[in-house]
Amino acid sequence: MRATAAISHWLFALGLMIGIALGLAATRLYGPLQRDNAEPWQLQPEQSHHYRVAVALEYAHSGDLTTALGKLISLRPATDPLQTLADSACQLGSSGYLSSPSGIRALRVAAQFYLEQGRDGCVEQLLPPVTAPTPAASDEDSAGALAQSKPAPTKPPLDAVVQPTRLALPSQPAQRRFEAISLRSFCAVDRPAIIEVSVVDYLGRGLPGQQIRARWGAQEDIFISGLKGERGGGYADFQMAADADYTLDMPNAAEPVGASLRTGLCYEGNRESLKSYRVVFAER
Amino acid sequence: MRRFLLSLTLGLLLGALAGAAIGWLNPPPAARNSRLSDLAQPHRDDYTIMIAAGYAHDADLTGALERLRLLQVADLASYLRATTERIIASGSRELGDVRVLARLADKLGGATAAMAPFLDGS
Repeated sequence: MRATAAISHWLFALGLMIGIALGLAATRLYGPLQRDNAEPWQLQPEQSHHYRVAVALEYAHSGDLTTALGKLISLRPATDPLQTLADSACQLGSSGYLSSPSGIRALRVAAQFYLEQGRDGCVEQLLPPVTAPTPAASDEDSAGALAQSKPAPTKPPLDAVVQPTRLALPSQPAQRRFEAISLRSFCAVDRPAIIEVSVVDYLGRGLPGQQIRARWGAQEDIFISGLKGERGGGYADFQMAADADYTLDMPNAAEPVGASLRTGLCYEGNRESLKSYRVVFAER
Repeated sequence: MRRFLLSLTLGLLLGALAGAAIGWLNPPPAARNSRLSDLAQPHRDDYTIMIAAGYAHDADLTGALERLRLLQVADLASYLRATTERIIASGSRELGDVRVLARLADKLGGATAAMAPFLDGS
């Protein structure tokens, strides 16, 4: 009886409820967040724009409307999934996505997709005109003016698999030209005998997906920029061997750098390492 | 007064412990604030396949890499190689999906023997 009298049940219950609420709130703020388990519908709006463009790109390859619609629906749009694709393309087109040829190409594909399905967006007004129709597009010229006007409204039912009208899109990216604008050696204990390459566009932005070729003796190797995302989009590196002279170029895109590159002993402070190089290829 | 404080403090302490335990063991699912890098593996695979299919369509390696970088993986070549090999081993995807993945992995210098059969005629 004394123990019962020592505490008030009502106050204890009140404290318990407040405590549970506080404990739950604390774990929501500081506790373990589940990562790597998100569904497409949980993407941030901007990230869902990129997802929708990816759906359009896949559709351009496969022509599988059912799958494309399923993936658009997996984003749980509030309205028509194809119209949200048009809206996403519009959002991206208005926010700098069209500053690169890759962005233009992707949004052209997205516009092609939703226009085929009878939807309207704004990106078709933002896209630059198509200047290089493919030779095989002679019977598709009427559709080739995608960038300026929408095609005839031949909207099929959504659940029907349609044969898409192919537009006159350039199938290959335009060839860029680059020039080695910087070649410097450096000494770092944690990065011995390495050639670090940065490939940048004319605005100095890193360009992924560019091929760089190292040649030594009768051998050569090609490595690609952008594979190490944490080092920047235009970064690539190559491990040098001792006693070899390397020349560096970009196949069909840049002349070899002026000097051959060779590693050798160097010192960072009083610590011994092997000489490394930094090369910058800039678009011209 | 002592009874009041003792009751409330005891309740708060036990409640906070219970609430923290419940919250820790049952973390909330992500809301609409996730990034592509937060996607569950099957959906990340979906996204990767879509990008690879886009590359098969337009051969735009720069664009493909820019889009894959949204997954925030440190080494894209390794990621693509591992993803492709895992999908081949599991047999969980269509042949066309494997082909486009293998083609992009090959372009990035990461094609392996397991991918070789899918590179023919892709």
